[in-house]
Amino acid sequence: MSTDVMSVDVMNTESNTPVFSVDGLWKVFGPKADRIPADPELSSLTPAELRTRTGCTAAVRDVSFDVRKGEVFVVMGLSGSGKSTLVRCLTRLIEPTAGTIAIDGEDVRAMDKSRLRELRRHRAAMVFQHFGLLPHRTVLDNVAYGLEIQGMGKAERRRRAAEVVAKVGLEGMEQRKPAQLSGGQRQRVGLARALAVDPQVLLFDEPFSALDPLIRRDMQEEVVRLHREEGRTMVFITHDLSEALKLGDRIALMRDGQVVQLGTPEEIVGSPADDYVREFVRDVPREQVMTVRTAMRAGDCGGIEHPGALAADAVVAEAIKVVARSRKAACVVENGRCLGVVDHERLLDVVAGTELRKEAV
Amino acid sequence: MATITASSAPRALPGSLLRHRAVHKLLLLALAAAVLVPLANARWASGSWPDALTVDFSEPLAKASDWIIDNRDSHPLFLYFFGYVSNAVVISVHAVYLVLLGAGWAGVTALGALVAWRVAGVRLALGTGAAFLTCGLLGMWVPTMQTLALMVVAVLASVVVGALLGLGAGLSDRLDRALRPVLDTMQVLPAYAYLLPVVLVFGMGVPAAVLATVVYAAPPMARLTSLGLRGADKEVLEAVESLGSTARQRLLTARIPLARKELLLGLNQTIMMALSMAVIASVIGAGGLGDRVYQALASVDVGAALAAGIPIVLLAVVLDRVTGAAGDGTEGSGRAGWAYALVAAVAVAAAGRLMGRLDWPDVWIVNIAEPVNRAVGWMTDHLYSGVPVVGGTADWAAHFTTWVLNPVRDGLQWLPWWSVLLLIAALAWLIGTWRTALTAVLAMAAIGVLGVWGPSLDTLSQVLAAVAVTVVIGFATGIAAARSDRVERALRPVLDVFQTMPQFVYLIPVVALFGVGRAPAVAAAVVYALPAVVRITTQGLRQVDPAALESSSSLGATSWQQLRQVQLPLARPALLLALNQGVVLVLAVVIIGGLVGGGALGYDAVFGLAQGDLATGLVAGAAIVCLGLMLDRVTQPTERRTKKGA
Repeated sequence: MSTDVMSVDVMNTESNTPVFSVDGLWKVFGPKADRIPADPELSSLTPAELRTRTGCTAAVRDVSFDVRKGEVFVVMGLSGSGKSTLVRCLTRLIEPTAGTIAIDGEDVRAMDKSRLRELRRHRAAMVFQHFGLLPHRTVLDNVAYGLEIQGMGKAERRRRAAEVVAKVGLEGMEQRKPAQLSGGQRQRVGLARALAVDPQVLLFDEPFSALDPLIRRDMQEEVVRLHREEGRTMVFITHDLSEALKLGDRIALMRDGQVVQLGTPEEIVGSPADDYVREFVRDVPREQVMTVRTAMRAGDCGGIEHPGALAADAVVAEAIKVVARSRKAACVVENGRCLGVVDHERLLDVVAGTELRKEAV
Repeated sequence: MATITASSAPRALPGSLLRHRAVHKLLLLALAAAVLVPLANARWASGSWPDALTVDFSEPLAKASDWIIDNRDSHPLFLYFFGYVSNAVVISVHAVYLVLLGAGWAGVTALGALVAWRVAGVRLALGTGAAFLTCGLLGMWVPTMQTLALMVVAVLASVVVGALLGLGAGLSDRLDRALRPVLDTMQVLPAYAYLLPVVLVFGMGVPAAVLATVVYAAPPMARLTSLGLRGADKEVLEAVESLGSTARQRLLTARIPLARKELLLGLNQTIMMALSMAVIASVIGAGGLGDRVYQALASVDVGAALAAGIPIVLLAVVLDRVTGAAGDGTEGSGRAGWAYALVAAVAVAAAGRLMGRLDWPDVWIVNIAEPVNRAVGWMTDHLYSGVPVVGGTADWAAHFTTWVLNPVRDGLQWLPWWSVLLLIAALAWLIGTWRTALTAVLAMAAIGVLGVWGPSLDTLSQVLAAVAVTVVIGFATGIAAARSDRVERALRPVLDVFQTMPQFVYLIPVVALFGVGRAPAVAAAVVYALPAVVRITTQGLRQVDPAALESSSSLGATSWQQLRQVQLPLARPALLLALNQGVVLVLAVVIIGGLVGGGALGYDAVFGLAQGDLATGLVAGAAIVCLGLMLDRVTQPTERRTKKGA
């Protein structure tokens, strides 16, 4: 895992202090949970063994990662993999058992009650799977709720809330009650409520799982748009691989409470860390995820015209179009400099999933 | 015993397992009996409860009661605590009463109607107005206001006490665990049992009546408040917490508003129970409508009882519908509407005052007592006995007493005391757990120790007879209603009205029909318990998984097969709950039946109150509590416990 983090660090040189820095995080449910992370013998047991021996369930096991400023960090895993517990540990909605969490370098676990409230009020806001709206309040008052908690006056918070309501596309519905909205609209209210407090980080806990596929796609695009416009850091929990690949700058893949692989979508799909991940990403349309940077053959196209001229982070699907049209190898260009060349053979390898083996040899 | 195992075991789905468990339990019990019974038999002999095992409480109780009476005016506990409580109650009831009288009949009617209009709409407003005017027409304006004044104070106190307890239980798990069994038990005790202890402390009168009412009516508020606070959507609370709210903010902005429905339901139930108790409390000097019914029944004056009973029913229906509508409806939007309503009510009251029309005018009173009594007289002459073929109502009552009540009572009293305990243990254990069985046996044994074994078995025989009738009629009606929408639609309004009426009222028609005695008490109990049994049965049968029904009909099951093989087994928990509720409700009325010649424990309690012999009354009251506890535990299915825990 640490090697993954490092390799990404090399790629992304502009990273400064991480927004969230999680190290060796454990959450164990059950009697006398404290002893389990501390005891190397107990902590190495499989989940089933642990349950029979101690009656405890380890939802999060020794998880470490950094969330960088401005990125969308996706935690992905099947139900019961501990991802929802993990995101709740970040703001101590669930109290972690062991490990450290820092936000902007400040230790979250050491915070007292009022400092923690401060964190929840201003620095990290969460969007929930089943929306968590207050049914007796209007849309506007739901959105303004976080500001009300902070003690803001009525007129001011309503004005701010109205702006956010417009931003998520709910104009004209300010006076409705949540029960009068569709699922997608309700989640827009949830999103607006989180945005209204202008948090440093947005936490999403499977926000779109309860929505219909078409609405889900709309909402995903909404998140992409918001991220593009505001550049806010996001931690996004999902069990949907395509959602993870679509939204994530980096993805942490969880299984049984542990992170089995952490990397960019391309790294996850292109070089799965183990059989579990490989099985997981088997049906992913690889040409939609892999970039030409991975697919290209190093070398120069030997000119300044750069035939085809593809950006290095263009996906293979785009390269296929270019190569098929020109019937020639295309050049991969970054900052006006030629990095390498992709041809039919290279692109087919990606689609067929055979390029790994060649590199492994 | 064997018949019960044999019939219940094959019906249950995991047949062999259950049969094993049931047989297991019975064998264990038989083993214990084989060891203990000869011992008990040798030591104390069979037959009725042995004298050696009774403790005479009447003397210490009489002493305690005398001590309280002697010290009521001098002891600091009374002077500085109970005295203040008592004075506060008297003053507030009196103040409300004066306000109601000061507003005049027009003002009160207008206020009632306008509140109903704001809360529940025009139709109920008209109904409320009509109900108040009917109270006046029947010549019951003053007693109605007396009852209302007592109710207002009692309900306010109950709501405050209940809401505070519920708030505590909703927020603290420990308090919830401590409070829950107490509230559960309080809910199954007959209202009558609450009267005696308060009389012991406060003496007869309004303070005792109000406090008994508060003790009886506060539990539903506490229970539903706690339920509402605990039932709040977890994710909403988490979302509220994730925004950095303080505990106080969470409570005020999320938990309490989210519990609105339960809180209003609690208010509704508290009001209904307070009305029921305020009427019963007439036997300890509450005055008002209940007192009129009580006095009229004492002299078997059905007409007068009816004149006072109708306002009680009207009050019950109006209060239930209006508070119920408040729970269902959306939040009242217009403050302006309330302001108009208030101004209008004040204007009407002022107008009434200026015209000097505060009291209900005598010329507007319709005397129904006389014609009703004439009708009852005619019934007595023509329907009581000697009607060809069907016989008369009094004949039915006599036959029921001779052929059912007497044999059951004599049979129970003939049984050796230890076999009664064994029977209870076996029944309770088969239906519930060893815990419920133990509680039931201990409660029954306590009755023996109290020295009222005989009268308790008499009461028990009446309860058993009434429950048997209730269950047969109730299940049959419930099944019919579950199978036919038309029957259910026709039944619903009837059940609605019957379920809101206070227990006391049911005594009036049965006395008119059957005279006095044990059979009328049983009849009143059946009528009182039936609606709940029918309703729970219907709901249970209707809530059976439709997929299971569909699959059985797709296999070509006839509707009779469907009922017997799918609906009834799957609705078993609901049927057991119906039985449990039936037993609890029947007991409550059988006890009150002591007022119309039901005898047994109810009579002892009434006699104790009437003669100032509190010792007898208190022993009877304690036995009523034990009997209630025993009957509830015997019929308490395991599911109820587990469901509540989840």
